[in-house]
Amino acid sequence: MIKVQSLRKSFGEHEVLKDINVAIKPQEVVVVIGPSGSGKSTFLRCINLLESITAGHVLIEGKDITDKQTDINKIRAEVGMVFQHFNLFPHKTVLENIMLAPLKVKKVDKGQAREKALRLLKKVGLEEKANVYPDSLSGGQKQRVAIARALAMEPKIMLFDEPTSALDPEMVGEVLEVMKELAREGMTMVVVTHEMGFAREVGDRVLFMDGGYIVEENVPKQLFESPQHQRTKAFLSKVL
Amino acid sequence: MDFRFDIIMEYAPYLLKGTLITIGLSLAGIIIGTVLGLFIGLGKMMRNKYLAFPFTVYITVFRGTPLLVQVLLIHFGVVPFFTGETNAVAATIIALSLNAAAYIAEIFRAGIASIDRGQMEGARSLGLTHVQSMRHIILPQAFKRMIPPLGNEFIVLIKDSSLASVIAAPELMYWGRAMSSQYFRTWEPYLTAAVIYLILTLLLSILLHSLERRLATE
Repeated sequence: MIKVQSLRKSFGEHEVLKDINVAIKPQEVVVVIGPSGSGKSTFLRCINLLESITAGHVLIEGKDITDKQTDINKIRAEVGMVFQHFNLFPHKTVLENIMLAPLKVKKVDKGQAREKALRLLKKVGLEEKANVYPDSLSGGQKQRVAIARALAMEPKIMLFDEPTSALDPEMVGEVLEVMKELAREGMTMVVVTHEMGFAREVGDRVLFMDGGYIVEENVPKQLFESPQHQRTKAFLSKVL
Repeated sequence: MDFRFDIIMEYAPYLLKGTLITIGLSLAGIIIGTVLGLFIGLGKMMRNKYLAFPFTVYITVFRGTPLLVQVLLIHFGVVPFFTGETNAVAATIIALSLNAAAYIAEIFRAGIASIDRGQMEGARSLGLTHVQSMRHIILPQAFKRMIPPLGNEFIVLIKDSSLASVIAAPELMYWGRAMSSQYFRTWEPYLTAAVIYLILTLLLSILLHSLERRLATE
């Protein structure tokens, strides 16, 4: 589904990703953990080219997104992304936020887009908020709307960039619940998070990143209970 | 001090005509200047430095030289060069538009730059193109923030249109000066002109203020 080959990314002189190789299977939930500055968010953002790629390749369903011939907008329409700070559009209502991309990118008709948006809002438990502006929502509600907005494009892959890091503690649960539901339905997901409980419970595989490398990867149980590398041990001892 | 209302009354039709021309010059300057300003602002924001450079030069030149100098150059130099004759109204509209465009370009650029980067990323991550993201997400939000500085610029533009009197465009200030030199009076013509300019700028302020409030509650 996603194949990352010798991916490198530099910001000026500073190399943030050094030779990342990973393959993600359909319906797999991959959780990326690691200390801040380890490059895990940058790795995620390279998968839909929100960051330009310095070297290497990223293939999504066999299409190389680094190829100039590839229409990146088409790829992005199939790869949903949820951000730490939600990035909802404040000048549009919740419903308009969700309907925008289906209307403008997929050109579906308005009634259909609306029906779909309402169905998704119901799924994330916010159908009564359809006509309010994002400003009047709590952080947890905003993030659930953001997830609904990404799902409206019917993506094959969902990327989550620290989706609960900007939330008050009591709101983390409601967002994780929606993500768990998605995982159960078989969505392919790549999740950067500090929620070790989520990684352990929902993740099929955990990648531990540090210093621009994937230092260790394993099924959650193995990685959390018997980490092989010193740096993984040191990190886990601090966060668990 | 005797204040001669009779000469104001005598000049009233000319002052009225002048006011209408002032409004026309200002409106033309505002509209053309805003459209030009948007393109120049976007031009200056282009990532390619070589393509952005001419726009930077444009802004530097038009903000860095006096409007009066620009009016005179355009009236006696540029317009005759292209048409073979002078035309004060056309020269004023061109000068006001080009000058305002430089300021408005910077207002647009600052307004767009003030929108959080996450907005563009959110839109692009959904598959919208750069142009679609600008049109549906960035510009509507930026526009709201641009209204106060744009309002200032429009008010400056109304007042600056008085410079057209030096090239004898028959606007408000031109008739004020005509009245002054016919009767050798100072207070009557210039105070009258001042009051009319004040009314125009006040009306514009009120209009912009209500627009700002309407957008804020939307």
